[in-house]
Amino acid sequence: MIRKFFKWAFSPMGRIAVAIAILSLFSLAAYGLYQTQQAPEQPIQFTHKLHVGLGIQCLYCHPGALRGPSPGLPTISKCWGCHQQIAKTQTSALLKPMVEAMDKGVGFTWVPVAQVPDFVHFTHRPHVAAGLNCENCHGDMTQVTIAVNPQVMNMGWCLSCHKERAAGDKEKLTKLTDCGTCHY
Amino acid sequence: MSEKITRRNFLKLTTAGAATAAIMTGCGPSSRYVTREPYVKMPEYTYNGLSTYYATTCRECAAGCGIIVRTMQGRAIKVEGNPQNPINLGKTCARGQATLHGLYNPDRVENPVRQGRSAPQLSTAQVSWDEAIQTVSDALSKTNASEVAFLMGTAPDHLFDLVSDLTDAIGAPAPLRFSALSMFEARATLSKAAEDLLGQAGLPFFDISNADVVVSFGANFLETWLSPVAYTRSYAKMRRSRPRTRGYMVHFETQMSQTAAKADEWIPLLPGTEGLVALALGKLVAQLRGISAPRAFASVNVQQVVETSGVSMEQLTRVAELIAESHAPIAIPGGQALGQSNGLAAAEAILALNALVDNFGQPGGVSLSPLAPNAGAHHRPANAQEMSDLVAKMKSGKIKVLFIHGVNPLFELPQSFGFAEALHATPTVISFATFPDETALASDYIFPDHHGLESWGYQRSQTGVMQSVLSGSQPVVAPNYNTRATADVFIEAARLAGGKFVQALPFADEVEFIQSKIENLIARTDGSFIAPEINAFSAYFQQHGGWWASSAESDSLSAANALGKSLNVSSAAAPIGENEFFFLPFVSPTLGEAGANKPWLQELPDPTTTVMWNTWVAMNPNTAHELGIENDDVVRIVSEAGSVEAPVYKYPAIHPNAVAMPFGQGHTAYGRFAAGRGANPTDVLAPSFNEAGDLAFAGMKVRIEKTGKQQPLSRLESRIGVYGEGMYEEK
Amino acid sequence: MQMTVDLNRVGAKGAIAEAAEGKWGMSIDRDLCTGCQACVAACAMENNISFVGEEDAGYGRTQHWIRIERFWEGAYPNVKIAGGYQPMMCQQCGHAPCEPVCPVFATPHSDAEQLNLQVYNRCIGTRYCANNCPYQARSFNWRDYHTMPERGNMVNGKLVFPLHNQFNPDVTVRRRGVMEKCTFCIQRIHKAQDKAKSEGREVMDGEFAPACAQACPADAITFGRIDHKDSLVSQRSNEGRGVKHLEDLNTLPRVTYLKEG
Repeated sequence: MIRKFFKWAFSPMGRIAVAIAILSLFSLAAYGLYQTQQAPEQPIQFTHKLHVGLGIQCLYCHPGALRGPSPGLPTISKCWGCHQQIAKTQTSALLKPMVEAMDKGVGFTWVPVAQVPDFVHFTHRPHVAAGLNCENCHGDMTQVTIAVNPQVMNMGWCLSCHKERAAGDKEKLTKLTDCGTCHY
Repeated sequence: MSEKITRRNFLKLTTAGAATAAIMTGCGPSSRYVTREPYVKMPEYTYNGLSTYYATTCRECAAGCGIIVRTMQGRAIKVEGNPQNPINLGKTCARGQATLHGLYNPDRVENPVRQGRSAPQLSTAQVSWDEAIQTVSDALSKTNASEVAFLMGTAPDHLFDLVSDLTDAIGAPAPLRFSALSMFEARATLSKAAEDLLGQAGLPFFDISNADVVVSFGANFLETWLSPVAYTRSYAKMRRSRPRTRGYMVHFETQMSQTAAKADEWIPLLPGTEGLVALALGKLVAQLRGISAPRAFASVNVQQVVETSGVSMEQLTRVAELIAESHAPIAIPGGQALGQSNGLAAAEAILALNALVDNFGQPGGVSLSPLAPNAGAHHRPANAQEMSDLVAKMKSGKIKVLFIHGVNPLFELPQSFGFAEALHATPTVISFATFPDETALASDYIFPDHHGLESWGYQRSQTGVMQSVLSGSQPVVAPNYNTRATADVFIEAARLAGGKFVQALPFADEVEFIQSKIENLIARTDGSFIAPEINAFSAYFQQHGGWWASSAESDSLSAANALGKSLNVSSAAAPIGENEFFFLPFVSPTLGEAGANKPWLQELPDPTTTVMWNTWVAMNPNTAHELGIENDDVVRIVSEAGSVEAPVYKYPAIHPNAVAMPFGQGHTAYGRFAAGRGANPTDVLAPSFNEAGDLAFAGMKVRIEKTGKQQPLSRLESRIGVYGEGMYEEK
Repeated sequence: MQMTVDLNRVGAKGAIAEAAEGKWGMSIDRDLCTGCQACVAACAMENNISFVGEEDAGYGRTQHWIRIERFWEGAYPNVKIAGGYQPMMCQQCGHAPCEPVCPVFATPHSDAEQLNLQVYNRCIGTRYCANNCPYQARSFNWRDYHTMPERGNMVNGKLVFPLHNQFNPDVTVRRRGVMEKCTFCIQRIHKAQDKAKSEGREVMDGEFAPACAQACPADAITFGRIDHKDSLVSQRSNEGRGVKHLEDLNTLPRVTYLKEG
């Protein structure tokens, strides 16, 4: 069976087939990786640029970052608090899902952009307390509409910053590079 | 390149390539598309990523422990004890912890249904709640009041109060409450004995924590007995809270229970001789203390007790010496001692032993449990006799409508009572079961109540603390399914029926009813909080998880009454013949009466045998050897009333003439984790009662037959099967 | 004896770990333990531990992170449970036998918290660690128990698992092929430390407890800092009844058992 396969693989058609297989494998893998770094399709093309530009603080909509692990998504009634006073809300096609959700009381789903796997227990509070600003990790939101990840959020990225921040302080370094700090 | 690549082949190959690539990259991008749905409107007290904690009351048994449930975004995550509640002071038992597996059980009654007695399947004939309420209303108003019966569980109390108000007003018989726990604890017997000797019916309070010698007669207070968390704490205090004094514990029981294993001395005796042993101890203690034996103890012949009970003279004398020399001895009557034909006399003998050492109302002694804040009198659940009477009434067609809530008599009552036939003879049976249990499936309708964690309510303390406690419940999560509070169903049905019905329940809803029942506490200043009016009071009631008297009560009891009574205890242990055994059913310490549908309770090993997920027959290894029975051999236990089959577990700590079997398994319904698993020991129990009307369940005579079958029990203690070792090691 | 420990060198090999006195520790009073299994249930609920069902339980595949052991002594009628019930869980050894055998370093020693860790995403399921654990404290995920189809309900053609609603979001839900064990409820440790830090103080003794200690009706389990001499757990561990199990293996267990009597 295997011999037959090799024989076939070295035949002209086989060579091309193997080449195609390898190529498509790599291209799909590359595409997958590329996809993880792209802004996903969202129910509303929310423009961070506009909202931040209006001077709204990050923590106004994502207050959880100050208190605990998750910054949270704003409730639709929070959006409504401002938007009901804006005439365009009722006419804009873009905002239709929000108006409908408010009317029916049924929400819609967002696709989180910056997230870590469930074996990582990231919590925002200590990071904010350590003096990090939102844009340090999430990029400059005055420049984007849908949020995108400015960098690959993997362990190397976490650790390089942890190491940098703990420079010189051995106790701090121990704590910040301990597996159990994030994985449990 | 002699071969041409056809377009067809090319497509084939690319498809295969793409498929491989998708597999190789682990479907990376798609796994990222987790979606998150924010609330449209954030519920009160909810914060993103932070937990909210709600105080409520555990409903896994009637003890009324306060719990605090950690919730997150509307999901209940973890049960913790309420540190303020005097009953459990922040602690929980395993059943309380696993209550979440009831809440999120995959087998719940999700909609009101016309069940049509179509056991074993849960009917899919959904009805609307309007129809359901109309059905209940018709059943109430179009039936002669004397032909309506209410059968309820021992929790929750607020619903019992509501139904009692309703039956009082319409002239229907008072609701009966029943649970297998109260049957196996012989609560009616204990209550009657307390009435006779302490002057008040109800469950006495045993102050184990301040005792220095505890003599327990089969009272398994570390497992399920009365208020297990409170008494476990008392036990811990008895052992270790006092400098230089470590309480000593003696336990008389035919088999070593989980509680008996914690005693310093476990003394096996024949079932039914506990009362005699108590009397003999009393006589000996009186002699040792140099007082003339009071009337209660005068007539007992110690030598005869030694012969019938199987307790040696040496042991009796040693225990008597311990009691005589102790400053604060206490004797506790347990279910196995009272669930006998001589149970009431035994209970009185054991309580009289307390009177003899003069511990009534003393620290480390026996007291009357204080009444719960909004109770008029101590409540006693129905005894087996009353259940048997109900069954007889149902069979004779005197009951036209039966309402069932919070109890599963088809499982909890022995089969020999004939509840199945009685249900058959009852024209309308309406169940309010949360889970599809046996009785619910044999009903005409199931109008499911919320789970306890989705419900309002309250539960009274009965024993375990000397404080008067009313534990409050509130919903910790929104109802998961299309269920409705049974109290609300009755209130709305009464409104539909009008007249005396709505006069009995003139409330907008359950919450208003509860407020009307706790309103009288506003005036009291001796409680855990003070509030000026009912809304503030209710808010505090929810926040604290109930209301309780801030200090312990004390009472003064006279021992004279107890000692002056002439106690005539005969042995209930009739001689047994060849291949006859005393049969001892006991409530499984991990499952309790209704834990079988909670998978993590099933996976908790029994503390003494380490068996999980099944029923076993505990048999002395020597007896097993004589009978040629090995571990995991299935035996049939046969009595005059019926038979039951289960595998044998060779248990080193049981009287050779007795076999024991846990109660809790053997369901034919009750969800996927319970149904078809294990066996129910009540199948062999005959309807015989003691003087207080409790079932004489302990020490019934049974025969044992081999079946030739084998069924390996899953045990924590051995690693059966993995590499073949330990498989039938004793052979 | 006070030795300075180079925290950077206290690693998975545990070579110097024995010099460290440990940080978190537990004392278990066997005189008080009533074997009631409340700790086992509380642990399961807190840590998303899967139940395995009757058949797998019979094969010894239960996932209890804490279990109650009992050993018989004597013969009827003088039979008793020797020394009382004994809760057994990961002893968080200072010199842990499980740590050096992991080929992929999924069982490192936490230098910061002085605990034995299990890193689920690194674990490849060789089970060497469980093989080497003298306390039999580790359990392996033989299947994806949580998502077994028979545990779910079909709703509109989709399999839903009502039991998943109970999952604690602070603890990873483990998949098949991964080793797991008691963590001393490290999520609670982190939470308490985080809270204390945000309030500018140290974690107080008794401020929090692992799920088992919190539930225990007899208060047999005490948890806290064993490097603080005035903590309750240090006092209880040192009151004279303390025993450490299999100490002769030089595992430096952080759990002290208090004898009966």
